[in-house]
Order: sequence, then structure tokens, then C-alpha cells
Amino acid sequence: MFKRVIYFMAAASFILGGVAAQAQDAGALLDLLVRKKLISDQEAEEVRSELTKQFTETPAGKWKMSTPITELEIYGDARLRYEYRGGETAGNVSQPNDWLERSRERYRLRIGLRGTLADDWFFGVRLETSQSNRSTNVTFGDDTSTTSGSTTTINGPFAKNSDGINVGQAYLGYKGFRDITLTGGKMPNPLVTTLMVWDADINPEGVAEQWKHTFTLNFGQSGLAQAEQSYSKDNKALAISKPASEPWSLKIDVFANFAQFVYDNTNPDNPVGPQKTTDGRLNPRIDAWMMAWQVGARFNFPKNYYFQVAPVLYNYAGNGDTFNVHFVGGDPSLSNSASLATNQSGINSLLFLEVPAEFGFKIGELPVRIFSDFAVNFNADDRARAAGFPDEGDQRYAFMIGAGIGQLKAKGDWQIQAWYQYTDQYAVDPNLVDSDIWDSRVNMKGVAVTGGYAISDAVIFNLTWGYAWRVDKRLGTGGTGDIGINPLDDYQIFQADLNVRF
Amino acid sequence: MKRIYLSLITAIALIGSVYADRLVIKGSDTLGAKLVPQLAEQFKAGHSGTTFDIAAEGSTTGIAAIIDGTAQIGMSSRRAKSSEVGAASAKGINMKPTVVAYDGIGVIVNANNPIKSLTKKQVEQIFTGDIADWSAVGGSGGKISIYTRNTSSGTYSEFKELAMKKRDYASGSQKMAGNEQIAAEVGKNPAGIGYVGMAYTKAGGVKVVSIDGAVPSVKSVQDHSYPYWRPTFYYTNGDPSGLAKEFLDFTLSSAGQKIVAQVGFVPIK
Repeated sequence: MFKRVIYFMAAASFILGGVAAQAQDAGALLDLLVRKKLISDQEAEEVRSELTKQFTETPAGKWKMSTPITELEIYGDARLRYEYRGGETAGNVSQPNDWLERSRERYRLRIGLRGTLADDWFFGVRLETSQSNRSTNVTFGDDTSTTSGSTTTINGPFAKNSDGINVGQAYLGYKGFRDITLTGGKMPNPLVTTLMVWDADINPEGVAEQWKHTFTLNFGQSGLAQAEQSYSKDNKALAISKPASEPWSLKIDVFANFAQFVYDNTNPDNPVGPQKTTDGRLNPRIDAWMMAWQVGARFNFPKNYYFQVAPVLYNYAGNGDTFNVHFVGGDPSLSNSASLATNQSGINSLLFLEVPAEFGFKIGELPVRIFSDFAVNFNADDRARAAGFPDEGDQRYAFMIGAGIGQLKAKGDWQIQAWYQYTDQYAVDPNLVDSDIWDSRVNMKGVAVTGGYAISDAVIFNLTWGYAWRVDKRLGTGGTGDIGINPLDDYQIFQADLNVRF
Repeated sequence: MKRIYLSLITAIALIGSVYADRLVIKGSDTLGAKLVPQLAEQFKAGHSGTTFDIAAEGSTTGIAAIIDGTAQIGMSSRRAKSSEVGAASAKGINMKPTVVAYDGIGVIVNANNPIKSLTKKQVEQIFTGDIADWSAVGGSGGKISIYTRNTSSGTYSEFKELAMKKRDYASGSQKMAGNEQIAAEVGKNPAGIGYVGMAYTKAGGVKVVSIDGAVPSVKSVQDHSYPYWRPTFYYTNGDPSGLAKEFLDFTLSSAGQKIVAQVGFVPIK
């Protein structure tokens, strides 16, 4: 009878404790009961054996995990989207003031696996729909036919030509040194940044080194500040007990992120025969690298106030074999097709500083954030000159400022964000900017609003709207976007998303 | 035709009667090298005509033998893994463990090694290769030679679980077929370290080091204060019956447990 009670207790811990933790929980309980001499080793073994048998019959029990894995998480999301985006030609080109519009129904799927390994290593893999670096969307019905040369193949409705699965992330890292995280591979962006500079879908490739340390300053009644330090390998601050008499404390997360990304690999490095040329210039044979150096701090004040600033300097080394032609970014004096045919992706003369910042607080339980970003390209004069617009070197700045209220963590939550964004033609890298807001373009300014509501803990409904104008009428709107117009005089986007996250 | 049937029935009856007096036991080298053969000898004294077929090739083979029905008793120095229990369950086999003795896994070094004690952390670091020189644990220096059991051994995986946080053995570790081989190699090699069941700790040329101040003994294993203690098992398909039950009952009897103690294991009571 007693054994049945023990079995029931162990089984309860087995079931209520969750599948992953049950074996250890039940084992610890049985060990304790044996040590207390409440049951014998034999009785414990019989219960343990029965629990193991039951566990192997559950879905989780059929999974086998290799020993070095200490923690594993499956995560991802699926999204249905309706999108409208449209752009208007300028008034002085062929087909003046004409709108090109695209209306699409799309989906995306991202499934990830990330985990920790023994000895402070970690890894992550994520599979994504779409091959694009700045999108994971697949458009319904866009693959009914495919054309190769002069041959068109009818794939039929509901074809699968666009529905591929691609490796979006594949990285490994090490957290064995105090405060330091080292990562290599195709990784989530390690930098603190905004859509003004980096599309959120981009997973850069290369290596990154991150350091983070938390300082806590306790201001006592005497007015003297005491500095306390804490650190955590998983970047979670450790709680430090404080004397009750202290009125408030300031916690400062100081961090530094360094990255060396392989932007474009040239292969072969030494081809047979003479070196190739483009427009009479020898093509470089060296890889293109993007370097980033970021230092920042987040000041956490009492009563949920915080301020974060994280300047980052970007530089490019080498040219690669894809981005080695000088950036032009369109030309209003040309026809639309000729303007589009100018180089939209060159990475010459880009040495720019980005300064993202954020201030946050709470109104009741409602989080509020005011955010901004600023960028300046120190080599904009050279970039403008190479583009054929030597007088436009002052087009070197980009900035955004906005505010948001609310959050989307649990069922019933809501969030609204609005911002103004301005980007000069030569300010930032047009290959990295967000592909939705301003259609992957630079030399644009405008406003955007997003609103979301959590229908359940896992399902979120989102609406996004944005409208933008060309900044400098003497220049094109550089970048390779979905709207086949350059210069893009006006631009509008609307998206309705239903997201399921897991 | 009738004669053929009669011959077949007679042959089947004869085979059945032979099998009824024959006990097939497979599995753990820790149990099967000394303890079970001695138990078998004593058992045969009271059960004339009984024969034993004992194969001690590692706990994995014993558990597999229960699953595929080629043995009546599977000896094991570790618990069946969930994958093994799952495989058995899929074939309708009910893996029933019976604790027959306790064992302490002793960490042994060469008798001339000045090291007398190690911490659990040091043991983990040595066997995983984090520490490769004796000077790092207070020894007189020199590259550490690690001797382990082979991968089919229950002691091999049990030691990983008990002492190494399930980490892998150092890449240069040498895998031995049994406890006696480990003791022999460590006895010959002044830089050697290995682990053996308690029954083998008194081999010549080796000495047991204390772990966090505890040494494997009857008392420290029975009260579970020695960190590397473990139960050892007979596995059967459900509750044993016939000769297997008789032998299991004998093992658990006072006479059987006396042999357990004599061989160097720790009795369960």
C-alpha cells in the first residue's frame, strides 16, 4: 500500500513537473525517501523502472538527445500577411506621376532550434522560408510559371517553386569567459540597432564578440555611493541585496559588441587568365568585410525608468566581387529604366556612425518608450563624387525618432508605435536598410505607424502603415526594392499580419 | 507417420527438460566475473543437475539478452536506459530490476603514487582530460594515464554519470575489457589511474584514493555516504519464475548475501 502511495507521489511529480524535468524530479524524490529509510532501494528501483517505462511511452520519451546538450529550445513563428505597397514616379520622367502598385498575400515560417552544450558552449539553427536576405516571406500564387531565357514553364496553380526551406541561422558560440560571449556563423544580429540601418530579417555571417557587465550604484542616506558589481554568463543580472535604508539605486549595464562580418566572398581569389574589369576598372580580388565596433550603456533608474545609448561605428574592408561597382542609386535625369539600371548596391566610401538611443518608463503597468537613431557617413563626399554628384556630399545624415506604448507579451496586450524617419542618399548602406519601411531605399523621409493586439498568448494581429517622400529631388532613391521606380517620388505601404509564435 | 510424431514429441520433451535445468545468465562483467559464478557453484550444491551458462560481457549485453529473450537473467551494474526500456516495452518485455548487491566504484592509482585523496571535481577533471598532469592535483608530476572500461560496460556509463557529470572521457583514455585488466594496468603504470568495483580494489600494486574524504567500504556504501556507490541488478522479464526465481531468491538469501560479502561486494541487508 505504502509503495502505491510512493508510486502515486512520484508519478504526480512526473506528470505535473513537465515531461523534461520529471525523471530528475522523481529520481530526487525517490533518493530522498531511500535516505529517510521510508522505502528500500528495491522499492525505489521498481518505481523508477515503472516511471521510466511510462516515460518511454510518452511522445517526449521517444526523443533521444545527445549527452553534451544541456538545454534545448524549439521556437519559431508562422505569419499570414496581406500587403499593399505602391510608389509614384517623379513629375519629370516618362510616365510622370504614375503609381506602380503591388498587392500581395504572403506567408512566412521560421522554425528554430537553439540550445546550450556542456562546458559553456551554445548553438542555434533556424530554418526559414524565402531565400532573400531581407525577407522570409513567400507570396501566394507567384510561382504559377517560371521563365528561363525564352522558355516559360507553366507550374500550375498552387505550385511549390517559391516554397523553399532555407537555413536562416546556423551559429555556435562560447560563454566560458566572464561577461563575454563569442559567436561565429550565420547569427542573429549581435548589434543594438534599428530598422533605419538594419532590416530585422538579416542574419549576418561572420564572428562577433560581446561583453556585458552590470554595475550597481547604491545611494545611501549619507549621500555616498557604493558600487557593487554583478555579472552573469547568460546576461541576466544577478539580484544583490541592498540595505533597506537606501532610497534608490542605479544599475548600469555597460556593453560592447564587436563584429567582423564576411560581406562578400570573392572566389576564386586568383582566377586563371587576366583579371576581370568592370567599366574599364580592374575588379578587386579581395573579400569584402564589414566591421562594427559598438559600445553602449543602459541606465536603469528606480521606478522603471531607463535610458540606453549604443553608438556603433561601421567600416568596410575590401570590395568583394558583387558590390565592387561604385554606388549611384539612380539619376532623375535618366529614363526610369536607365535610372534603375545604375548601380544600387555599391559599398564604396562607407564609414558611418550610428547612435541608437531609447528612453523608457511606465505609466501604471503600461510601458512607454521613446526611441531614436542617428547616422552620419564620414565618407559621404567621396561616395557622392563617385556616384557622379560631387555637389551632393552633404547628403550624409539619417535619423529617426518615435514613440511606442504598450507591449505584446500576453493575451489582451496591445502596442502602438509611430516614428519619423529621414535617410540621405549617402548616409547608410542601402543593402541593409529595412525592406518594408521605404522599400529598401535611401534618400527617403516619412512616417510609419504600427499597432498590434495579442489575441492570445501566441497569436498577434498587427497593422502597419507608412508613407514617405523623396528627400533630395536632384538624386535618385538608391537601393533595390520591390517597386520598380527610381526615383521613387512618393511611397506608401500597408500590412496586415496574423502572427502565430511558438 | 505415428512414429515420426512420437519421436518429435519425445525430442521436444527432452529438450524442455534439459532447458528446465539450465539457467542462462548474461551481462555485467562486474557481477559475472566472480560473484555470480560463485553463487552458481553454491546453488548447484543444492540443485543437482542444474547447469549454468554465464556470459559476462558487459551490462549492455545482459539487458539486450532479456529484450531478445536469450537469457533468463540479465546482470547489470547500471539501471536500464530509457531507450532500452522503450525497446523492451515495444516487444512486450517488462524489464524488472532486482537489486542484488551494492557496489562502490573505487578510484585506484598505482601503489607508488603519493596521491592519497582526490575531490569529486578533481576526479571529473582527470577523467575528462581537463587535468592531464599529476602535478595539478598535488602529485609528483608526469602525464596521467587513464584506464576505463569499454563502452559496453555498465561501469563505464555509471562512472560517467556518478563522477563526470555525463561528460565524455578524455580522448587518450585506454579502454579495458574488465576490472581485473584495469587493476593490472594501473598496478604496472606509476602514472596510471582507473576505477574498479570494490571487489577488485585489493589487487596487487594498486591503492584506493579517498573521494572528498570517503573511501568505499561496506558502511559507506550501505549508508550511501560514499559518492560513487551503486546498486547492481538482476534484470528479468517481469517477475521471475522457475529456476530463475530460485536462483534470484538464493542470491537474496542470507547464504547468498554472505557470498556477496565474501566476493567483495556490499550486501543489501
